[in-house]
Amino acid sequence: MVSQVLTAVRARPRREREEEVLVWPDLVFIEFISAIIFTIALLVLSAFINAPLLDRADPNTTPNPSKAPWYFLNLQELLLHMEPAWAGVIVPTIALILLGAIPYWDRSNAGQGKWFASKDSIKITVWAFCIASLLTIWLILYDGAKHVEWTEDIIRGTGLNSDFTWPTWLDWARNLRGLDTGINWDDLSFSLGGFTIFQDWRAIPLGIPGTTTDPWLLNLNFPSFLSQQVVPVATMVGLPLLLVGFTKRKLGWIHSRRDIALLVFTGFIAVFIVTTAVGQFFRGQGQELRPPWDIVVVEE
Amino acid sequence: MANAERPPGKNFNDQLYDLLFKNYLWQSIFRTGYPNTPRNQMLVVATNVFLHLHPTRIHRTHVKITHTYCLGGLSFFMFLGLTVTGVLLMFYYVPSVERAYADIQALETNVRFGLLLRNLHRWMAHAMIILVLLHMMRVFYTGAYKPPREFNWVVGVILFVLTLLLSFTGYLLPWDQLAFWAITVGTTMIGSAPVLGDESKFLLLGGFEVGSNALIRFYTLHVIGLPLIISIFMAVHFWRVRRDGGLARPL
Ligand code: HEM
Repeated sequence: MVSQVLTAVRARPRREREEEVLVWPDLVFIEFISAIIFTIALLVLSAFINAPLLDRADPNTTPNPSKAPWYFLNLQELLLHMEPAWAGVIVPTIALILLGAIPYWDRSNAGQGKWFASKDSIKITVWAFCIASLLTIWLILYDGAKHVEWTEDIIRGTGLNSDFTWPTWLDWARNLRGLDTGINWDDLSFSLGGFTIFQDWRAIPLGIPGTTTDPWLLNLNFPSFLSQQVVPVATMVGLPLLLVGFTKRKLGWIHSRRDIALLVFTGFIAVFIVTTAVGQFFRGQGQELRPPWDIVVVEE
Repeated sequence: MANAERPPGKNFNDQLYDLLFKNYLWQSIFRTGYPNTPRNQMLVVATNVFLHLHPTRIHRTHVKITHTYCLGGLSFFMFLGLTVTGVLLMFYYVPSVERAYADIQALETNVRFGLLLRNLHRWMAHAMIILVLLHMMRVFYTGAYKPPREFNWVVGVILFVLTLLLSFTGYLLPWDQLAFWAITVGTTMIGSAPVLGDESKFLLLGGFEVGSNALIRFYTLHVIGLPLIISIFMAVHFWRVRRDGGLARPL
């Protein structure tokens, strides 16, 4: 106990003292100047750009698209691809817990207090940022069925088949929901001990017999459980793991937990930026993907 | 460190110095003259109520702008600016469904500098979120979360969440279509939580949808509840930066 108290108040060694500068003036002036610069910049911004004020709130006319504030658009974007409970609550909660847990997992002191201290850290950061952005954009395009649109356009454009449409037997590959609606689940059903598996999974009898409580699995709809929960969550867990594995084995850049943290944190930042930007600039009416100049808000 | 004690003698500078800083009024406020010796400079940092958040000396590498880019300090500065502009906005704004929108309109048109005030508050709020995010990135990429600073990183994550909540609760107050529907979208997301979703949504809104109860709750959280909580966490955050031995630096 005593020794702990002593370490807390121990004077710093003389050698370190010589490396130190006075807070006044060296730091106080920097702070002062940066505060002035920010004050001026914000005053200028506020003089030229006005905060938005639309019509008075009216619960009876819904703007389309309705958007959350920009810093929640990443979650609103997730909402388009999975079950709301995952997108709105579970994923952000887990993300924040993992974020807070980083220092308890990466505990070595090596390289602290220095920008990009570990050997391959810049490479890892640039790589993680690029690949995570690209993958996110690709996933969003896929779930927006853009490949369907583009394939149709290209095949029609070549003139081979001027009214080509995406074949129905490939409907499951349109987007995530296509897994749910594009597959004829009844055809895939099979019987097992009195149950028709798949068909019956839409109303699986998991209640406790003789009780009236509403068992939550009673209406488990397997196809939508698959497309709105299993696949999105597996993607969110699986892609980062694959990325870590690839970067470690194939690129050989991972030497420590710090490097893994760098990779995953940077990926997180990239996904955050991409989804926020897509939500802000590329989502038009009905949350359809649209170029920014094509986005108009209508009131319904 | 290069500053030596001032040599004696009365040239013009010294006379000016005496005139400005050695008069009755100045000394009644600041108790001392301008701190022009290293000893006095350390004393002023240690004894001034605003400056004492700082240590008296810091390591050379940490005053380089490129080490922190002042991001944490600027986040705090935004918070201070938001407090000042926010208090002024409270003079003109009544959080009732009948008055809120009209008050904002009146603020923009009838109050001198009212529009500027509102703009400043709005853009500072956005700037604060961006600065906090950038600050988090600077802490991460400099490896400054490593022991013994683990817990201050956690405090930081809480500060980030509180910053978002402050901004979100403020978003509803103008009571325009943007505000109303953004909060409707946001609270619907909260309502989808697998446990206690509907309950937390009801608690936040004071009802099943955004209405006058929601407005008064958001207002109260925005102007007093969350600012108090975030101030406490900021105090802990700054205290821990000092207690953990100042900013992180290579071993
Ligand atoms: C309202 C939000 C915040 C404010 C006002 C704030 C303020 C500050 C200030 C003034 C410093 C001193 C060094 C610097 O300026 O960089 C600091 C350091 C620190 N901050 Fe924050 N911060 C906030 C949010 C965060 C967040 C979101 C995190 C991380 C998730 C974080 C983690 C840290 C850590 C670990 C340090 C110590 C850094 C070092 O030793 O180099 N802070 N903070």
